[in-house]
Amino acid sequence: MKKIEQIDISGDVGLRIWGKSIEELFKNAATGMFNLVTDTNKIKETEQKEVSLEADNHENLLVQWLNELVFLYDTYGFIGKVFRISIQGNMLKATISGGIFDPGTNESRLLIKAATYHGLSLKKVALHWEATVIFDI
Amino acid sequence: MAIEGLRRIDSNRIEVPRGYKTGMRTNGIIYVDETLEKELEAHSIEQVANVATLPGIAGSSLAMPDIHTGYGFTIGGVAAFDLKDGIISPGGVGYDINCGVRLLRSNLNKEEITPKIKEIVNAFYRDIPTGVGSKGKLRLNSNEHKKVLLKGARWVVEQGFGEREDLEHTESQGCIEGADPDLISEKAYKRGSAQLGTLGSGNHFTEIQFVDEIYDEGAANSLGLFKDQITVMIHTGSRGFGHQVCTDFLEVMQRAVRKYNIELPDRELACAPFDSPEARDYLAAMKAAANYAWANRQLIMHWVKESFMHVLGAGPETTGMSLIYDVAHNIAKVEEHVVNGKKRKLIVHRKGATRAFSPGHADLPEVYKQTGQPVIIPGDMGRASFVLIGTEKGMEESFGSTCHGAGRVMSRHQAIKKAKGRAIWREMEDMGIIVRATGRGTLAEEMPEAYKDVSNVVNVVHNAGLSKKVARLRPLGVIKG
Repeated sequence: MKKIEQIDISGDVGLRIWGKSIEELFKNAATGMFNLVTDTNKIKETEQKEVSLEADNHENLLVQWLNELVFLYDTYGFIGKVFRISIQGNMLKATISGGIFDPGTNESRLLIKAATYHGLSLKKVALHWEATVIFDI
Repeated sequence: MAIEGLRRIDSNRIEVPRGYKTGMRTNGIIYVDETLEKELEAHSIEQVANVATLPGIAGSSLAMPDIHTGYGFTIGGVAAFDLKDGIISPGGVGYDINCGVRLLRSNLNKEEITPKIKEIVNAFYRDIPTGVGSKGKLRLNSNEHKKVLLKGARWVVEQGFGEREDLEHTESQGCIEGADPDLISEKAYKRGSAQLGTLGSGNHFTEIQFVDEIYDEGAANSLGLFKDQITVMIHTGSRGFGHQVCTDFLEVMQRAVRKYNIELPDRELACAPFDSPEARDYLAAMKAAANYAWANRQLIMHWVKESFMHVLGAGPETTGMSLIYDVAHNIAKVEEHVVNGKKRKLIVHRKGATRAFSPGHADLPEVYKQTGQPVIIPGDMGRASFVLIGTEKGMEESFGSTCHGAGRVMSRHQAIKKAKGRAIWREMEDMGIIVRATGRGTLAEEMPEAYKDVSNVVNVVHNAGLSKKVARLRPLGVIKG
């Protein structure tokens, strides 16, 4: 199954994301987003971050999750590579392993301002999950 | 493009009538001529109509000729709401709160600077932190950070980066009163602490230009502009700090929509009644982010001046660089306007739109009282930018507002595809423009063809009388994120 696909939007960029479980979808969304920022293959795993979130519903949880990651890289330069995620109800707990972006050696792609609610969707289709998120860049 | 239900009012305006969509409380007006009409996106028309459904909207839901689809509110949108029955919406301001532009004049002319452009562009690139992951030269401690939020550009001038008169030449004197640092999340503080004095990425830039054409000698004179003069334009905003404030308050507003039972055609229009604690908190936080942005542009201007002096080996008297004006183009402000013959205080949202106050307006500094407010309109990196001034007609028709830039015609992906196999930097150099960018795809995404021709956009606001052309500026060198 395809994990992510980039969506073409005038001025901005979006992702269509798939996952066999909601946790896998959140993981694929995170990997997809970090790859919009830089080539994550070139990032060494040197740090761990813990994230804990609660939202009103799964869609909002996805936006909050991605915005938490935007915060981590925009503040600390942190790029996540390995995600251990558990979602219970509308609560998410994650442990992320990753490293710090180095403007000197790592490739600069897009600077994401935020994950938005614009055109946001997240649903279970047959046996898998599917979502669309658009980023403001 | 023929879209059912729209009506052309005159050569510069299209009406989106009240019946276009259920729930519209007023009509929409889109400022486009027949050329730009062809580039109108159906979704952006829908967004103009959506904004017209919001409670307490005063006058029409407006869109400037650089209109394109945004989040909730269209980019290029202007909407004013009543302070009693109306709302405030972060989506009507945008993620980059007080994204804006400032323009510097100089005593230098094109002929003497052209041979040095490469050196100056390299100096900019070295002195102004640019692109993904760049950090500012200042690290703000918590006390200093709060002062930036309260004082804006004034704080930067107090630290020795700039002159008192810079503040006179900045919209709102570089500081809106009423910012409240206590309403800012810890995340926004953390994101903002290392980003003051950084350019950012995307369409943000610092550009060396020359005055290529003057349309209004008198106004150009009072702005200190002359033919072939070197100018510098800085386009950036409140960086991660403002993005985080918007992100934080979109969540607050989603809850407010349910609490106050506001019916919305689109979730990104999330808002709160202007007279509510949620609205008061957002406004005070938005002001803090606006002040951060003015401080940011003030600091970058200081490094621009230093780069010029360093490369030319000359003092400030020789370079003669000073600020003409600084305008915000993503902001909401309480202003007084006349609607249907009645003076009203309104909360005016400008998202991708610029304030353009007329001569004599009380909010203008003495120096521009007679001329009117300077309006700075950046174009793409290959064609042109413009200086305009505000007009009385703009006060009457568009809450003293005008366009903000060119507006994209190609998505980033389309632009990258179109640029494949081409060296955009070389194409630009062949045109006599030196460019440097941090991001791998930035130059492709930002290539001139990806944008509408700003001249077409500016001609519409000029012909519609919303603001008046003063001068056209051509690029010579630019750094991007």
